[in-house]
Parts: sequence; C-alpha cells; structure tokens
Amino acid sequence: MSGYEILSLDDLERVPYRGSGEVLRPLRLRLGFRPFGVNVWSADAADDKLIPPHEEDSGHEELYVVVRGTARFTVGEETFDAPAGTLIHAKAGTFRTATAAEAATMVLAAGAKEGEPFVPGGWESVHLAFAQLEAGDAAAGRATMEAAIAENEHAWGGNYNVACYLALAGETDEAIEYLRKAIELNREQVRKWLPHDTDLDPIRADPRFQELAG
Amino acid sequence: MTVAHLDDLDAIELPDGFVWRPVRRHFDIRAFGVNAYTTREAGGQIVEEHTEDSLGHEEIYLVLRGRARFTIDGNGHELAAGQLVFVSDPKLRRGAVALDADTAVLALGGKPGAAHTVSAWEAMFAAVPASRAEDWDEAIRIHMEALEEQPEHGALLYNLACMEARGGRTLDALLHLQRAVQLEPKWAAYASKDSDFAAIRSEPGFPAA
Repeated sequence: MSGYEILSLDDLERVPYRGSGEVLRPLRLRLGFRPFGVNVWSADAADDKLIPPHEEDSGHEELYVVVRGTARFTVGEETFDAPAGTLIHAKAGTFRTATAAEAATMVLAAGAKEGEPFVPGGWESVHLAFAQLEAGDAAAGRATMEAAIAENEHAWGGNYNVACYLALAGETDEAIEYLRKAIELNREQVRKWLPHDTDLDPIRADPRFQELAG
Repeated sequence: MTVAHLDDLDAIELPDGFVWRPVRRHFDIRAFGVNAYTTREAGGQIVEEHTEDSLGHEEIYLVLRGRARFTIDGNGHELAAGQLVFVSDPKLRRGAVALDADTAVLALGGKPGAAHTVSAWEAMFAAVPASRAEDWDEAIRIHMEALEEQPEHGALLYNLACMEARGGRTLDALLHLQRAVQLEPKWAAYASKDSDFAAIRSEPGFPAA
C-alpha cells in the first residue's frame, strides 16, 4: 500500500513507561507521522496508571481524547472522570495526569508548540529502546535510539538519552562520547540531570565521567 | 484547561450531509489541526471526498465509535471503532461513509516541517449556519476574523465577498472580490456564475470573467 496505511490501536506495541509504569502505545513512531506529536496510552484494569504526571515544560499544548473506557484525569487542581468521547485541552505548564476509572481504557494524546514546526523530542524512542533492552534485545534498542538521533541529531536530550541507554547496556566508551556531545549542545540542562540520574551509575566511576561532570 | 464531550460540541451540518464538530476551533488549539465528524444515520457521508494537495497535510482519521467505509485512492476499507487510516500522501483522494448511525471520526492533520496554520476552510464551515439563517452580519464576522490571520487568502476573500453581496454591502463585496481576483484570477470566472453576486453583477468594478 502506498501513501496510506490502516491500523488498529490495539495492534500498537505496548511500551512500559520507565519509572512510573504507564503503558505507552507509540503511534507517531509506528506511523512515521511528522506534523506533530501523537500517541496513545492504555490501561488494562481500573485504577491502573494511564498518563504520566507532567506539565509539558516543552511548551506543547495538548489535546487528550478518551477513545474507550473512562479516564480519571487530574488537570491543574481539578480531578474528574472522562468517559469515551471526552476531549481535554491542556496548555503548556499545566500539571496533568490520569488513571483508568474502568478496565480497558485508552486515551489518544496530540501535542505540539504553537508557532513552531514540530521537532520530535525522541522521548518515545527512549522508552521503547529501554523496553527492548530489558527484553534482552540490545541490538533493537540501540537501533531505536540511533533512529531517534537521526531524526534530530542536534537535540541535547536525544544524545543524553542514548548515553543513558549505552551506559546501562555496558557500552561505556560510546556512552561517554554521547554524554560529551549532549554537554556540548546544552551544558546547563545536562548538569541538572547528571548528579542524580541512576541510568548513568554504571559509568559514574569512570575518570572521563568525572571530568565531564566536573 | 477546558473539557468537553464530543457530543456537546457544535454540530454543523454541511451541504454534503456530514456533521462537522469543530474541535480545534472550540478549544482554540493553535499548534495542530484536529476536528471530528459525526453522522445521524447509516449511509451518510462522514468524511467529505477531498485531497490535501493544496495544504500538504498528512492526516490521521480515527474511528471513535461506529463503523465507516473509507475510500482512499479508489480503494474501499471498512474501519471499526479503534481503527485508523493514516494518509501520508496529500494527493490521495479520501472520503468516508458511515456504516452505523451515530458514527464518529476524529481527524488529525498538519503539514510536516511547518508551524501550524489554521485552515481557512474552518471559517467557511463555521459560517454555514449563519449563512443558512441569512444572518449575513454573523457570517461576515466569522470570515473577517479568519481574514485577520490570513489576509491574502483568495478563497476566504471570495467567500467574504459572497456574504457581503448577500448582505447588501455592495462596496465591501466589490473590494474583497477584486482582491480575490488579483490574488487568484480563477475567482472572476466563478463570480460570473455565482448566484450570490446576482445583485451586484452589473455594478461598475465587478470583475470581468
């Protein structure tokens, strides 16, 4: 098929969100959709986590669409149940999170920054790559991370995330090089993360790390 | 933060019979394109037949409930709730007919590599109820609002001129029609046959076809 593709949201990969356990269904990556960010989150059981707590400090405005089930959203200081067909608009900087209020809940999220062409941040790839690594497929994880870097090689976050991935995968030399590049791109941001990011613990004792962190 | 249920959004019935739910416009989303379409009965058009050639958009159509038969580039596909079609090629003709009553389709779209621009057709669709009610002041207001963002948009200027002609604002209609023709000469031929301009066609300054 050329120029179009059909798929079911249920066929999207299930990617555990690192750290907090939500289930990301990476729609944008799967389709290669380029104009803006779009993904799906799903929960199998009531009370399962659905949308990770965050504030979109990227400057993105977001629209959440409850595709099936019922989601219990907290946006700002307000908590409410959102049945299928509900649309929730959240501006950048507003706290938002959701859990499933019933089994088999699914929410589509779309987002981008007003007035700017969309540039993928690569965050979906991080979670996908780590899931692949944890499943024992380090080569697939590495390919996922390299594809993310290829999408936007000048994003400090992408280089930093590859460094984390390689550190955990035991590729110390390469991890140090990606970390060096991330620092060149945005020293201030990287140094906020360096002291407490456990992903980098496997390379923390390396003298080159000490030099970069210094 | 704002919350709304799809069924609580404006339901704007368009001439082809499908019902536009103006999601982007309701929330004033500026960063990307998003709309929804519903239908009242099975067999009705739910996504109009069109291409995205002029806008260059990639589009995703997700069936939120019910079932729809999509025709993409001449190929038919039946999609149920939770299924989507991603049309990456803007040149492909696409459209859909609802197979169940009360089917709903969400449409997401934008141009890769470009900051999102609100599509001018949204104002034209939004003005349909006012035009139908012959509330020309409201139809003109909706067009003027869109024109502030895209002052050189030929189709918007042409449609605005139509509303102004119907509303008896002859001078405004002539000025906006002239500007539309300056930008895109094709509008002169359209205007020569358009019944909206019947009352002003003999005015000096009406563009020659």
